[in-house]
Amino acid sequence: MEDLPTMIRLERKKTKMIVTYDSDESFKISYDDLRHACPCAKCSPMRNEDDTSMELRREIEKLRPEKPSVKTVGNYALSFEWTKGCSSGIYRFERIWDLAHGRDPDRGKPYVHGAW
Amino acid sequence: MSDSPVSIHTPGQSSENQEATAQQQKQMEQAYAQMKRKMAMEEISRNIKHKIMVLSGKGGVGKSTVSTGLALSLAQQGFKVGILDIDITGPNVPKMMGLDGKQLQVENKRILPAEGHLGVKVISMAFLLESEDTPVVWRGPIKLGAIQQFIGDVDWGELDYLIIDFPPGTSDEPLTVAQSLPNIDGMVIVTTPQQVALLDSRKSISFSQSLKVPVIGIVENMSGYTIQGKTTPGSDVEIFGPAGKMFKATSNDEGMFSVTLDIFKEGGGKSTAEEFGVPFLGALPFDPGFVRGGDDGVHRIVSDPDGASSKAFAKVVQAIQEHLQSGDQQGLEII
Repeated sequence: MEDLPTMIRLERKKTKMIVTYDSDESFKISYDDLRHACPCAKCSPMRNEDDTSMELRREIEKLRPEKPSVKTVGNYALSFEWTKGCSSGIYRFERIWDLAHGRDPDRGKPYVHGAW
Repeated sequence: MSDSPVSIHTPGQSSENQEATAQQQKQMEQAYAQMKRKMAMEEISRNIKHKIMVLSGKGGVGKSTVSTGLALSLAQQGFKVGILDIDITGPNVPKMMGLDGKQLQVENKRILPAEGHLGVKVISMAFLLESEDTPVVWRGPIKLGAIQQFIGDVDWGELDYLIIDFPPGTSDEPLTVAQSLPNIDGMVIVTTPQQVALLDSRKSISFSQSLKVPVIGIVENMSGYTIQGKTTPGSDVEIFGPAGKMFKATSNDEGMFSVTLDIFKEGGGKSTAEEFGVPFLGALPFDPGFVRGGDDGVHRIVSDPDGASSKAFAKVVQAIQEHLQSGDQQGLEII
């Protein structure tokens, strides 16, 4: 696993956030991309197939744009709370780093453990 | 006679009004008692450096064994440790800690915990039962009151760690504790490798999000059973494990070999941790010594402090300590 720089700043804009790392790099992540990559057990299986993934994307895009409240989870992740839609996901910093680089944070792996 | 400083004096009132004031007095006394308990809980919280909840989604995964093991492993390192056994309907921590039949003492209206192996302080409903066969059949509000009393009315003194052992599932108890006891560090989720236990662990992880208590990590219990044997030095050994799966080993120069059989499955706890983005704290071996130790009241960590199980617990404890020491992501500015 690559050595991640430390996130030092997260600036919430209207439709996206700007994350800055101690390596002096900054990235924009749209809230739609962030919410589509939600790692929770309800959203993750929807990304397994193209059609359900598109369905998830459309549901997210239908939501009114809003700034989430952001909290750190221990020293390893962030959680985002929205007034509407799913707020369950705990986003590891690795996941946010992948999103910042436009990479698939699931690394092409399907969600295999249907929890409910 | 109540020790409450609350009193209402209204001379010359009718008996109806006096009844109303008596009711008001009772309500104010209750509010005063509640406030006193809340203050006591805040003081307790300040005196206890780390508070760790131990949960599992499913029963029978060895949660109390893990709770007592964590407590004893921490006590082995010289920390002051307490265990709060919140499993009101099936409390079994005292038995595992060699405190069967022990009675609790009360001093200055505060409950003094019993002291088990390695000086670990223990509070459990079991201490209040007439016999271990007595069932506790309580509805929610009574249970809630008992839990608040267990937290607010106990004189724990200063502790480095308080381990809180819960009944299985995602019921009232963790919710009550999370709401009553400030600054809980997080929860440790105990699972076993089979699918049904993992499904329930995922519920516990989601539950932690509802409680706003972070997950410290997942511990996989009953992870593998190691058998040892002796044969000709340097020879290959084949052993058929569960479901006919073959395990191979080569004996050493003294002819000794060991094979770890995955009684249930392998790596389930780790994959669940990865899936939910929470730390995997480690795997604990399947050790029949825990059953014997639990029944005899001598915990495996006490009877075999240098054994494989004690070492596995020490690794889990180290992972927990690293997590607690790292704290929150310092210096992240969120605007």
